[in-house]
Amino acid sequence: MTDVWIAGAGMTRFGKRDESLPDLMAEAASVALADAGIERPDAIVVAAMNPEEFTGEGNYGSLIATHLGFSHVPAIRVETATSSGMAAVYTAYAALAAGFHSVVLVVGGEKMTHLPTPRVSEIIGRSIDPHERTYGSTMPALAGLITRAAMQRRGLGLKEIAQVAVKNHAHGARNPFAHFQTPVTLEAVMESRMVADPLRLFHCCPISDGAAALVLRTERAPVRIAGIGQGMEAIAVRYRSDLTSFRATQVAAEAAYRMAGFGPERVEVAEVHDAFTPFELISLEDTGLVPPSKAGRVTLDGETAIGGRLPVNPSGGLKARGHPLAATGISQIVELTWQLRGVAAGRQVEARVGLAQSIGGIATNNWVTLLERA
Amino acid sequence: MIQDVLGASRCPRCRRVVAPPARMCPDHPVAMEPHLVPAVGEVVSFTTLHSPPEGFRSPLHIAIVELEGGARLFCHGEETRGVKIGSRVSVEDVDSVFYFSHMGFADRARLFWRRHGYRGEKVAAIGKSFVKGFWKGRSREKP
Repeated sequence: MTDVWIAGAGMTRFGKRDESLPDLMAEAASVALADAGIERPDAIVVAAMNPEEFTGEGNYGSLIATHLGFSHVPAIRVETATSSGMAAVYTAYAALAAGFHSVVLVVGGEKMTHLPTPRVSEIIGRSIDPHERTYGSTMPALAGLITRAAMQRRGLGLKEIAQVAVKNHAHGARNPFAHFQTPVTLEAVMESRMVADPLRLFHCCPISDGAAALVLRTERAPVRIAGIGQGMEAIAVRYRSDLTSFRATQVAAEAAYRMAGFGPERVEVAEVHDAFTPFELISLEDTGLVPPSKAGRVTLDGETAIGGRLPVNPSGGLKARGHPLAATGISQIVELTWQLRGVAAGRQVEARVGLAQSIGGIATNNWVTLLERA
Repeated sequence: MIQDVLGASRCPRCRRVVAPPARMCPDHPVAMEPHLVPAVGEVVSFTTLHSPPEGFRSPLHIAIVELEGGARLFCHGEETRGVKIGSRVSVEDVDSVFYFSHMGFADRARLFWRRHGYRGEKVAAIGKSFVKGFWKGRSREKP
């Protein structure tokens, strides 16, 4: 199979943005194309979770291609709920590895902050099993159910899940692209408003606007996609026998490691899907980066902070960088590309191999990508 | 009053039971068969939502309950005070919406008596149940 390389990476600052989604995507795409020194890609893969409802626009492949001045370049749109960004990277990877194209632009984003929070919550909630939604289940509600079960079964405490927020805010304070660039204290997290018991406001990622883009090609570049894998789980949470780990992540990680030909022991930096802070701890164990039921301990010990043994979410993660849905999976790979190239100013870590993990829906469609510096 | 059974469905291939009834088994492309499960089970997890979606009262109590027949259910509850993971609850179907409630002493006794036919077995079962409850209570106190 042909190797696939990352030739260019770019993203907008995440947060509350006045620009339209096509403008945000254009900003990210032009940075990535300029970074790669490429004027025109062979194809475009667009990731957007639900622009139809957030902004009222559809036909997103064509809309973005035309908006970028590439109206004759083949474009498709990819969607797997909140992991759409990484699904788009996979789609581009597959097209390149199969020899269909030599250069593909991947761009994803979401525009949400112009809507009231209950409306945003309702639109994101469409990715939940319809029966479970009739019980008033929202993403925080399901995350609350998972967190309580995980706290019972895995020895996770309130302090451990709060420390993830403290760490990721501290990282975000060093990232000019982050939605939140201010640190928070452990007390502030533990005393923030209750959302879905035991989850509090500061355990949850914000609603953000933003876009991220990558240029992938078959010609050699500084960073290679060493492996990429997908994992699935039933959309219904009640169909799962275990709430305390995500099968979809475990399967995706196995596939990615198999493709890469190495295991978690070579990973030196990770970007994981901390939409709710306990998910960072669950994800570290599901990807094999941390032994079972040790994620809380290593977090309290500072091993996952910048400067620690395995820096996790040096960008600030979804918690502090923000979570513009379909931008997220791409922005994780943008961050790792910068980290591996040594250009992550203010938050640089020492690493040759990075892992990105993205969760779609309530962990129904997850992805793991491994990057390696050549 | 405890409802005796709830409607569910079972996969003829892997015997998996899901509730409410589903058309296909989640794990096999096989049509499921109608099945009944006892309307009692254990709390798998629960949460209280403080800003529920439109059309729901705040606070909104949601629990996942594993029924004795194996299926897991989403339920609403009046409250979660005193509820723990592993708590025994009964589930009631009110207009196709499931509600869990802590089983009161009378409910437990009635259920217990119905399940243990002979007098000798009853005494043995009471003993077993007491010992089990004692150990469960003990193990939960550990951090």
